[in-house]
Amino acid sequence: MTDMSRLPTPDGASDAAPGSILSLRGISKHFPIRAGALQRVVGHVRAVDGVSFDIRPGETLGLVGESGCGKTTLGRLASGLLSPTSGGSYFNLDAAALSKLNAAYALPEDARAAALAPIEAAHGVTTMPKAAQARFRRNCQMVFQDSFSSLNPRHLVIDIVGRPLRVHKEASGEALTERVVELLEQVGLGRQHLYRYPHQFSGGQRQRISIARALALDPELIILDEPTSALDVSVQAQILNLLNDLQAERNLAYLFVTHDLSVVEHMADRIVTMYLGRVVEAGPTRTLFDEAAHPYTRALIAAKPDLAMDDPQVAKFAALDGSIPDPARPPRGCHFHTRCPVATPNCGWELDDIVRLLERSEDLFEALSDVSRHSDFAGELAFEDEDSAQRLAQALRSDATPASMRSAMESLTVDGRMLKVRFKEVGEVQLSDRGPDHIAACVLKDA
Amino acid sequence: MSISKTDTTGAQTVAPATIASVRGLKVHFRSKAGRVHAVDGVDFDVRDGETLGLVGETGCGKSVTGRAFLRLLPVPPGILAGGSVMFRPQTSCAGCGGEGCAQCGGSGRRPTPCPTCRGQGCPDCQGTGAETLDLLKVSDKKMRGIRGDRIAMIFQDPGKSLNPTLTIGEQLGEVFLQHRSADLLEEAGIDSGESGFQARALRRLAGQRDRRTDRMAAALWPPLRRRAQSVRQALDNRIAAALGETQIPNPRNIMRSYPHELSGGMRQRVMIAQALACDPDLIIADEPTTALDVTVQARILDLIGQLQAKRGSSVIYISHDLSVVRRICDRVAVMYAGRVVEIGETDQIFNDPRHPYTKGLLAAVPTTRTPRGKLAAIPGSVPELVDPKPSCRFADRCAHVHAACTASDPILSAVNPGHDVACFLEHPTSPKTEAAE
Repeated sequence: MTDMSRLPTPDGASDAAPGSILSLRGISKHFPIRAGALQRVVGHVRAVDGVSFDIRPGETLGLVGESGCGKTTLGRLASGLLSPTSGGSYFNLDAAALSKLNAAYALPEDARAAALAPIEAAHGVTTMPKAAQARFRRNCQMVFQDSFSSLNPRHLVIDIVGRPLRVHKEASGEALTERVVELLEQVGLGRQHLYRYPHQFSGGQRQRISIARALALDPELIILDEPTSALDVSVQAQILNLLNDLQAERNLAYLFVTHDLSVVEHMADRIVTMYLGRVVEAGPTRTLFDEAAHPYTRALIAAKPDLAMDDPQVAKFAALDGSIPDPARPPRGCHFHTRCPVATPNCGWELDDIVRLLERSEDLFEALSDVSRHSDFAGELAFEDEDSAQRLAQALRSDATPASMRSAMESLTVDGRMLKVRFKEVGEVQLSDRGPDHIAACVLKDA
Repeated sequence: MSISKTDTTGAQTVAPATIASVRGLKVHFRSKAGRVHAVDGVDFDVRDGETLGLVGETGCGKSVTGRAFLRLLPVPPGILAGGSVMFRPQTSCAGCGGEGCAQCGGSGRRPTPCPTCRGQGCPDCQGTGAETLDLLKVSDKKMRGIRGDRIAMIFQDPGKSLNPTLTIGEQLGEVFLQHRSADLLEEAGIDSGESGFQARALRRLAGQRDRRTDRMAAALWPPLRRRAQSVRQALDNRIAAALGETQIPNPRNIMRSYPHELSGGMRQRVMIAQALACDPDLIIADEPTTALDVTVQARILDLIGQLQAKRGSSVIYISHDLSVVRRICDRVAVMYAGRVVEIGETDQIFNDPRHPYTKGLLAAVPTTRTPRGKLAAIPGSVPELVDPKPSCRFADRCAHVHAACTASDPILSAVNPGHDVACFLEHPTSPKTEAAE
């Protein structure tokens, strides 16, 4: 197997060897929220919010996170199915171009545009010449999660698999049929399946057809959006083995989007963990599984039920409290601080955290009449009666409130029906180096 | 209902510690291609207070088996072709009132005495003195009394199984109105002996049998309105308590919201609250965590485990996820193509699997130790179950297939105490002989 030789090199970004097939830099996708009779935009869901990573030739990059963290949106941004709100994606960078790109992004914002211009013109997915864009679309294919809805029920297999060949004028007539048969045989189907409709196949076979379609133009990168989540384990094993064989044969790169950590541990060379539209940690698979630096990654790994169960002590599920906060108004500082078991006062506690606490209580939320903000970190909560304000102040000083949140409060005063609060102001948490090729966004440096 | 009355030979005595036992269950479906044998002769027992895992791939009949307990099968096209599902309902122990005493072995529950012989032992109850019902044959009215009260179900996708047009409170309340209306009236201070229009109207209102006149009277006539409100109050208290038990924060607020306003994990908690509302003896959990994230799944599994331990009810946990089943189940039954191919204690199944299908399933799960690209996939796919011939259903995918496999049906028999396998490799000559070990 080639997997040992493909282990990521230390300090991958500046290393001369690999280059990258696809590099995303600060890519964001904000979906507008519309309301009212005129459908005015009242806010944005930040599905993906400033994500950067590289996909190197021949590697499998795993993208994990809970549902709603933006991993599918990111997969679609990478494949060019969605256009980003901001940020750029760059195709087919050799080592020199990649280091130029990194140098350009290291510059301050105003100087960046000039340095970026030559790279944008040659490699930017939307800005490069038309011929290069066509090459990008050929070389970047996608396999979707639900094979029921991603294969046209009115088309025969030969049309579905042959369509990319026809569109890119690769083959026609007899030659096309032969190419399709070849592709079907590569994914374990055969000539007898050419003239059938998708509904005549089982889930595993349909996923094979999707993979055959993605392979048709001999791409360098395939984006796999939860390719096995609708399949049974025995069929999943068949598909994963197939993907591995194809990768070894053709030096494919995969962006493997999944929520299944067992699968990603098995498949990926490197893993990117996402939470609420941002990358919280990225690194080689073994590093992440053995010494994850971000508490969210650790929680995900701990929650993964494992068949092996080597240690009966860890057989207990470790679980996270609460649910993902609203991505239209993500928490300040570290997005994860609302659920984090090791949160510190520096994690970005803010006024909204009090409102989140209030929502869990029986009657205090009803008594809240107004919130006036000076900033995200300071403001006043007005209640209908003095008693409620007092009760909240007591609750905020008691053990019911996380200790780190209590120490993040710089002041807390009750003035009649008003409760004045000021939290420590904290900036956004940046990704920082944690080891070779391993980055994480957590205020705890040596957690 | 088209229940075949002939095939009762398989029905056996329920052993004392079992709460339900399935014998020779056959559920077929009529289709254009022929008769699909979705469940074809399934046998297993559910012991009192245990968690039994029902594992298998899509289409192996595990959900149909689960639904047969509640007779939630579409008939037609479904055909209950034979076999029995014997179920022994329980009541809270009279000696301790559900607290747990020596008489009931600390569980706080005892089997309901047989109505024919009042617990003395008669042919109806096979001499055990406990009421034993064949769930496939009891009347529809009796079945309605059992559903949600003695046997409850947690469905796979809470987004699809909660009614989007009713608030959480309204749909949870239905369980209590159906099964606990007497308790509600008592809590609201309405005497069971009371007669007259008011009492009759209240009884109808508290039992989901209300007429339009009752609703109008309850809206317009102050004395009735006050009493109807106190019933409503008692109902709300119960709903809030049921929701609170599943660790839902602020249950009174959640009661007023609609399912689409809640997250997936929260909706599944509502489903669990609904299933556990009447303290059932048997809970059928049909892939309750498949639609959820890993982090939420962990919470939900914890919750089901805690509530089960507290109440001592039995759970049939239907899942395709072997790692989850290993964590939470006491015993596991592995199903393939409508049959149970292996059943045993969780440790026996996972550490010493005997059936080639079980071995294949376990090897197909990616673990830390499997080298990449070396997953042991089972070749082929699940066979179509249209009019199958007598043979091992796994024969065409099995690596150890031999002449006997295609000639006759293997029968479940013991390889170790409590560990049964249906495979000719373990029982070479005749299915009845014990394995060499």
